[in-house]
Amino acid sequence: MSVAWQFYISTVLVYLGVDVMACWGLNLQFGVAGLVNFAFIIFQAAGAYTAAVLTLGPATKGGFQQYLGGAHWPFPLPILAAGVVGGLLAVLVGSFAIRRLRRDYEAMVMLVVSLIATSIATNQVGLVNGPNGLALVPKPLATMVNLSPIGYQWLFVGITALICLCVYWLVHIVTSSPLGRTLRAIRDNEQAAAALGKNVTGLRMLAFVLGGVIAGVSGAILVEFISAWSPGSWLYPETFVYFTAVIVGGSGNNLGVMVGALLVPVAFLEATRFVPQFGPPGFIDALQWIIVGVLALVFLWFWPRGVIPERRRRFPPTTQSEARQPLTSTRTGR
Amino acid sequence: MNTLVPAIGFGIVTASILAVAGVGFTLQFGVTNILNLAYGDIMTAAAFVAYLVTGAGFSVWLALAAGAAFGSVFSILLNRFLYTPFVRRGTRLFGIIIVTIAVSLILQNSLLAVFGASFFSLQMPRPASVHIAGMVFTTVQLAIIGIAIVAMLLIHLLLRYTKLGKAMRATATDPELARNCGIATDRVIDLAWAISGALCGLAGVILVMNVTSFTDTTGAQFLIPIIAVAVLGGIGQPYGAMLGALVIGIASELAAAVISPDYKNVVAFVILVIVLLARPQGILSEIATRKEVAA
Repeated sequence: MSVAWQFYISTVLVYLGVDVMACWGLNLQFGVAGLVNFAFIIFQAAGAYTAAVLTLGPATKGGFQQYLGGAHWPFPLPILAAGVVGGLLAVLVGSFAIRRLRRDYEAMVMLVVSLIATSIATNQVGLVNGPNGLALVPKPLATMVNLSPIGYQWLFVGITALICLCVYWLVHIVTSSPLGRTLRAIRDNEQAAAALGKNVTGLRMLAFVLGGVIAGVSGAILVEFISAWSPGSWLYPETFVYFTAVIVGGSGNNLGVMVGALLVPVAFLEATRFVPQFGPPGFIDALQWIIVGVLALVFLWFWPRGVIPERRRRFPPTTQSEARQPLTSTRTGR
Repeated sequence: MNTLVPAIGFGIVTASILAVAGVGFTLQFGVTNILNLAYGDIMTAAAFVAYLVTGAGFSVWLALAAGAAFGSVFSILLNRFLYTPFVRRGTRLFGIIIVTIAVSLILQNSLLAVFGASFFSLQMPRPASVHIAGMVFTTVQLAIIGIAIVAMLLIHLLLRYTKLGKAMRATATDPELARNCGIATDRVIDLAWAISGALCGLAGVILVMNVTSFTDTTGAQFLIPIIAVAVLGGIGQPYGAMLGALVIGIASELAAAVISPDYKNVVAFVILVIVLLARPQGILSEIATRKEVAA
């Protein structure tokens, strides 16, 4: 394999890892807990920003970029800090967005959060260096390990895979535990779950925060890899790509969501790299968004449960009378 | 003082645009029960229709009518051929939200693909300035205020004094009960889309009449104050939205004058957060406590 191809494939693999993680986080919120978090990308952006400033070192007065905080933390710490910031931001947003309101109220508020966050980040230059964002973020471990550029690429793929495994372990224990079952029950019938004494708002908040942590970590890995961050690359339509991936893959199913991440953000958006450019500048990008939107609509119409649907969970009957009507906990209709 | 009074003038203009947009948004949600996140992009599309009409040499008044007609027809078609089929197919509540945001993206990027990433402005005769009680308005702004007042009056007359208005309010409160009382709720819902679509188109055109230039994301950005207005007024409450528009319009322009123009939308956002924390059913809530907000 030529070096150029190795570069390309390792880059795509890192992107895939980031997207898979993000989709798991979103799936935990949307697929499992039924939270329509249209601000998902903001949590990813916050994590990315945290990791960037904690790697860049303190901002120098009169330097070419301004930002808050700044430190030279060694490798895994900025990524962990990104997770913490993603979670804290989720607590903050959740404190007013996740209340006992209708779900569409929630979605609407999340969309506003996403729009407003972008406009604040762009307008307040002191905060995140305005529309220019951050650049020249040092790569983790680059000075410590003595590797060729291509070797470093593969090292990064390894780090990403390792973190992916940790995130999978987290989402797996949540979704397969009684907690996951309760979250699905809340998603499918909130009143019934509340009537059974479940703390509906608290548990949804928990799912929201866990999703926020995962979003933060995924953003951190992306920024450490591409070494740059700008508010313009974290707009609300990016969240929609993840939503499409979750829906295409199979909302509520971790494996399905992974396939969705492989199909939509990676295969689909990468494929256009090989399409010859035509039309005025921005035309191809616009077409891409249109196709992602159409893809979401087509799947919601024909295969609303995705490529790999959520498993229907059946529980063994306990008494003779219940044997005739097996209980199911997943959604029955479409 | 000398910056505050003109700011209130700007606030009244912003409030007028917000009132038209907010009442359309909230009416649609109240009657049809579909949260249409593509609303802002339909506004942008109507603005582009107006851009084409004025570009062809017709007057702004015709552009306003064309924008409203476009919004109305587009909304009916969108509901008939996309939203209703999805609802009939049993798509769940958050499925429908994803459908509307997909429509929003498709519409926004179609406009981008057709018109290109550039700044546009309506061709209008140069407006004169008018001084009223320390506030300066252009004739265009006075026209916007006039249009909003007429539109709000018409909506008030429609809701209070016509059979259709009564049927709409009944459908908004309890669609099943309304149907059982012999109201043709499907027709009422169609008409609600038509009326709110017209308000949406109208709002799109007056929004770009008031600014020097607009892009394919102008309407989507305007969704922040629209949602704040709708939530402040109690979602599904046209009168609440009118009041909410006045509060948010004036508050955001005052903040722009006192602090910085960047804070316009931030003020709307802060008001939204406070309302969500303190009174999620909105300032005017007759039915909201029971129907709209309860999860």
